[in-house]
Amino acid sequence: MRKLIEFVGSTVVAIGLLTGLASAADEARVMQEKQAAEIVDTSAYKKEGPYKIGVAAGYMGNSWVVFTLQHIKYEASLHDDITEVLVTDAAFNPTKQVADIEDLISKGVDLILYWPVDDKAIEGALKKATDKGIPTINTGGGFVNSPSVTASVFIDQWNLGEMVARRLFQDMGGKGKIFAMLPIAGTTAAVDQLAALKAVMEEYPDIELLSAEYGDWNRAKAKQITENLLQKYPEIDGVFSPAGQMSIGVAEAFDEAGRLSEVIMSPGDEYNGWLKWVRTNNQGGAVTFPTRVGQEALRLGMRILRGENVRRGQKVPSEYISPGAAGVYAETDRPDDWWASELPEAWKPQ
Amino acid sequence: MSDRTGTVADNLQTRIWRWASSNAIWIVLALLFSVAALLSDAFLRPVYIFNIVRQAAPVGVAAIGVTLVMILGGVDLSVGAIISLTAVLTAVLMDGQVANIPLAVTFALAVGAFIGGINGVLIAYNRISPFILTLGMAVVITGITQIYSGGTARGIVSPGFREFFNFRIGGVVPVLALFFLGLALVGVRLQQTTKFCRNLYLIGSNPQAAELSGLHVKRITIIAYALSGLMGAMAGIALLARSGVSSTFAGRGLEFDVLAAVILGGTTFQGGRGGIGGTIAAVFVLLIAFNLVNIVGLDYNAQLIVKGAIIIIASSAYIYFKKVR
Repeated sequence: MRKLIEFVGSTVVAIGLLTGLASAADEARVMQEKQAAEIVDTSAYKKEGPYKIGVAAGYMGNSWVVFTLQHIKYEASLHDDITEVLVTDAAFNPTKQVADIEDLISKGVDLILYWPVDDKAIEGALKKATDKGIPTINTGGGFVNSPSVTASVFIDQWNLGEMVARRLFQDMGGKGKIFAMLPIAGTTAAVDQLAALKAVMEEYPDIELLSAEYGDWNRAKAKQITENLLQKYPEIDGVFSPAGQMSIGVAEAFDEAGRLSEVIMSPGDEYNGWLKWVRTNNQGGAVTFPTRVGQEALRLGMRILRGENVRRGQKVPSEYISPGAAGVYAETDRPDDWWASELPEAWKPQ
Repeated sequence: MSDRTGTVADNLQTRIWRWASSNAIWIVLALLFSVAALLSDAFLRPVYIFNIVRQAAPVGVAAIGVTLVMILGGVDLSVGAIISLTAVLTAVLMDGQVANIPLAVTFALAVGAFIGGINGVLIAYNRISPFILTLGMAVVITGITQIYSGGTARGIVSPGFREFFNFRIGGVVPVLALFFLGLALVGVRLQQTTKFCRNLYLIGSNPQAAELSGLHVKRITIIAYALSGLMGAMAGIALLARSGVSSTFAGRGLEFDVLAAVILGGTTFQGGRGGIGGTIAAVFVLLIAFNLVNIVGLDYNAQLIVKGAIIIIASSAYIYFKKVR
């Protein structure tokens, strides 16, 4: 009897905690939506051109941000009143990014676009910018609600995860065993994608999540982890992997184990190596993680400089591309580490 | 009679402990492997065992070279950056053409050896701290890689290259695993038989005495670092063969895996001790620790705790076997 009471009690507590956590996560999302919809008073930032644009990159060490930067430069080329784009690279060093932002302020930039290494570390430097009438735009990171950040142009990782999960479950016929290959543990991307996956799973009771793994956006690590999981689980029906870079490693491990035919891969993103795989295997497709977020950020910045009212958070929506269509975007004569984009040829990274 | 039996038993025990002492890391590996096999039968499947060997190839190959410079009393922190550079360089030079493979591989190896040689020259003639110098070199190489690649891992791997290295002989042994084991065996053999390797130990034990006794310390230092760079380049090619190259930072952080393996394998920062055999065993200890927690299916955070604990226990067991006589 005592055991029964303990069991029932602990179950109730666990359900209560889980419900509490889920509801806290929902509340946070509702709050974020509300904050993102707020209208920013841009009167303090209104100024006449010509404009000098500053880009404080937290890092340039992956192809996605390289393409994002090219989008910024391309958009700048479309505006006659932009005379210069100054770019700094903090190389994953928050202290350097603080110094970079201060340098850009002293060089007289009119607008700062940035992607952070650590949001908190650069808050003070960004505040200096906004205090001097220089708007700051978080470009491509998550949504940031801070007085030091004028606006965020972002890709919603939760929405992306939800779209990927729904498509995967539909492709699986609503049942089967899956594992999730997520980015670096603790990052917004990993947390939001996993939360979205679990939320969609509630609608698909016949889907079982075997394991959530963290491949750190690293193809080799994703492959190594998958090789291990293939030994542990005799049945794996699907893989949730929104990042194409890791999806290739996962698919390769299945292929080498002779088990590719048993698994359904989720959509990845528009990473070229993944699109090549989709083209060859005609499955998976893509849910985009658009590099044009850079272009959208500069467009928003220009509206702020003109004194137009803008929302504090602007989403760049992800889109689903079917396997047949995704294959068309694959550039077979380009490297794997490349992104399908709408950039004109001359503006693609050289 | 009983005294003699007792003496024989004592001698046998002493010999066993001496053997255990000099092969401590292999005993740790055997124990860890046994535990792994008890927890998951995957560790008894030949295909999976050779998977582990293939997974170990990039770090293992680089660790062979770093062991040489650490026996000498140095260190090479530029190896991760060399891996990234040579992986990207090889893919770029291949440009998707089979005919380009020999040139691409040869050039990448030459670049690795050249960078290692520069490390060696600067350390031999300027007596700069190897730690600082190779750390600085890592930063320089990273910058070169970024400028050369423009931030995206350019280059297309030639068809057949990865297929060759990942082909399983007899359906079990991948060529890449064989390549790594072959290099390890050659390294161990050279360490046991060549004058060059004996000189590394002499210099590492007492550089002043080695110089006074007429050893070409500078030349040996340059060759050792050039070999480390060469092995770093081979590791870059091994990484390209194993998983393709998907980033200009493909080798970032691997220098720490390499250092961890070399030190756990018994080669110290002081130099003059250790060897390639111990390093290879330690590479497998670290890899099995990761795979074991992964395959057993622990939650990610629990994986970190158990993996860290395995490494601490392995190190403690290693020291225990080394001390007991």
